Amino acid sequence: MSRKFLETESPAWVADGLITAEQQQRLLARYPPDAVQAVGLLPLLGSILLLLSALSVVAANWQSLPTQVRLGLLLATLAATYAGGEYFLKRGNRRVGHGLIGLGLVVFGVSIILTSQLYQLVGYDVSGLLAWVVVGVLLSYIYESQTLVLLPIVIGAAVQTYCTQALGLFSYATMGLVALGSGYRWWRRPDTIVASVLAVGLLWQAALWVALSHAKITWFFIPAMLVYAAGDWHRERPASRALQGPPLVAAYLFALGLALFGETDQYAGLLRPPVLAYLGALAAVFGLSVAGKRQRGRLASLPDWLLLLPGFYLPGGLPLAIATLVVLYAHAGSVLARAHRSGEAEQLTLGTVLFVVATMVAYFKLTWAFLDKSLFFLIGGVLLLSMSWYLRRRNAQRLAAGVAIGAASPTPPPTSDQRPTA
Amino acid sequence: MPTSSTPSHRMLVRLLVAAQLLYVLGVAGAGYATTAYGQHIALATSPVDLHSLQYESFVRLRYTVGEAPLTAWRGPTPPQRRQSVYVLLNAGADSLATVAGIYDAAPRPAAGQAVLRGWVTDVFPRTLGLRYNLERYYVPGDSPLRLGKTSPAVRVQVSIAPWGQARIESVRLLRPTAAR
Repeated sequence: MSRKFLETESPAWVADGLITAEQQQRLLARYPPDAVQAVGLLPLLGSILLLLSALSVVAANWQSLPTQVRLGLLLATLAATYAGGEYFLKRGNRRVGHGLIGLGLVVFGVSIILTSQLYQLVGYDVSGLLAWVVVGVLLSYIYESQTLVLLPIVIGAAVQTYCTQALGLFSYATMGLVALGSGYRWWRRPDTIVASVLAVGLLWQAALWVALSHAKITWFFIPAMLVYAAGDWHRERPASRALQGPPLVAAYLFALGLALFGETDQYAGLLRPPVLAYLGALAAVFGLSVAGKRQRGRLASLPDWLLLLPGFYLPGGLPLAIATLVVLYAHAGSVLARAHRSGEAEQLTLGTVLFVVATMVAYFKLTWAFLDKSLFFLIGGVLLLSMSWYLRRRNAQRLAAGVAIGAASPTPPPTSDQRPTA
Repeated sequence: MPTSSTPSHRMLVRLLVAAQLLYVLGVAGAGYATTAYGQHIALATSPVDLHSLQYESFVRLRYTVGEAPLTAWRGPTPPQRRQSVYVLLNAGADSLATVAGIYDAAPRPAAGQAVLRGWVTDVFPRTLGLRYNLERYYVPGDSPLRLGKTSPAVRVQVSIAPWGQARIESVRLLRPTAAR
């Protein structure tokens, strides 16, 4: 609890008779003001400045230094950073310790790059940088630190980007290391932030793979939904939700794009992979996901898969756009229905937003062409206002009812399955 | 997961750090080994723009073998942008290398020939643009390029290792007077 909050609020507590004046003094004494900590920052700032000056001296003279000296400097920095990290960890300063270990990992990658540059050496596969990812994944298992779990995911995405852009090949080893190495680390110690970053990192690599192989962009959703299905199998709900967020956002944006631009057959034509291969792969992932949902008792979140309906096989034109709109409405409706059952405020907001977005897209698609523009905006505004009024009223009633139930029963109502994201 | 105080943890960390140090040393060793065991070729460049040296520590080299006629293409399918290729170079003892053929799979070089890997950057109606990842040259502090005012053409000594790495060994001015 913050000291400031205590200082401003505690007089009212004394006045209301919640605590006595003596108890207030004891509480205040328990949380001393943190003026001392600000002074404690000065040595840190000082050492950062010293480090920066050393760094700029070296960087300015880098090309003039003899090769061996440069190599020695890199190796010494690498060893010193890790040694520093271990030293601080031994003294019990975990934040600084883990920070320095993470810095050591970054220095390792920089050393590989600078050493190749030192000898003007080029390689034609990713093996040089793969070691960086391997070390990152190993470190994430050795230390108990969120930063060190996040780093190899980010490094993997960077290495893959370099590999596809500069070398023109996709490194399956990098993808595998991040998916299995970092993925298993997360699986054992679930964490919502790691889950989201992991999902985004894997989706990024999947997108690079699609771009490099000139495949139809819809193939992206096979690996993306594999990530989603992995979330279905995880035992912890918040962590699995965080993992499923990015794939669902991608699928939703895709469906939205199809509703907006699906009318032109040219765009829909870009999306059609070979029917049997694509649908077979998608069905396999779907089966995996359903099995996971059944295993964990989360079948309520099944309507998420509505977004993956392969509507782009329909002939382009108005039918395709309308079919996609129907799917968007069904999805928003399913989120709203689930939220009403569970009575979660965030879910209700999300469902409402999805519903409004679907309505706006539908309105835009169906009336832009033949309505007078001023009339178009007028009706659109009235539509939105009335809808917001109606939905807000419903939500408020629903939440009030939920609170009443919660107050009546000694235990809060069991929160069944809900999904945060679309 | 071992906690940070056990001896096995400390051992593990030491091993991992030692492996990283060795790895960086290995990269350096690969640099020396490429020169020692590699095949040496000389590539000519078009005049080098030295202006970038004011802001950066490297210059961009444009090799004469960076552009080849489309007739040199030996693949079964037409070349595509960003495709990885093998460039067969005719390399004389001291003469500059010229493109003998561009393949999409590794060709067998005859005596006096060398294979350098590259990527297709552009496909023009009659020519191909090629990239070798050797375009960026980090200019050492004592290089004659640092003294140059005009844009000299240079001769780049490249060694190609049998295990598939390549490095710039040295860069000399093609016409020594041009730089002053």
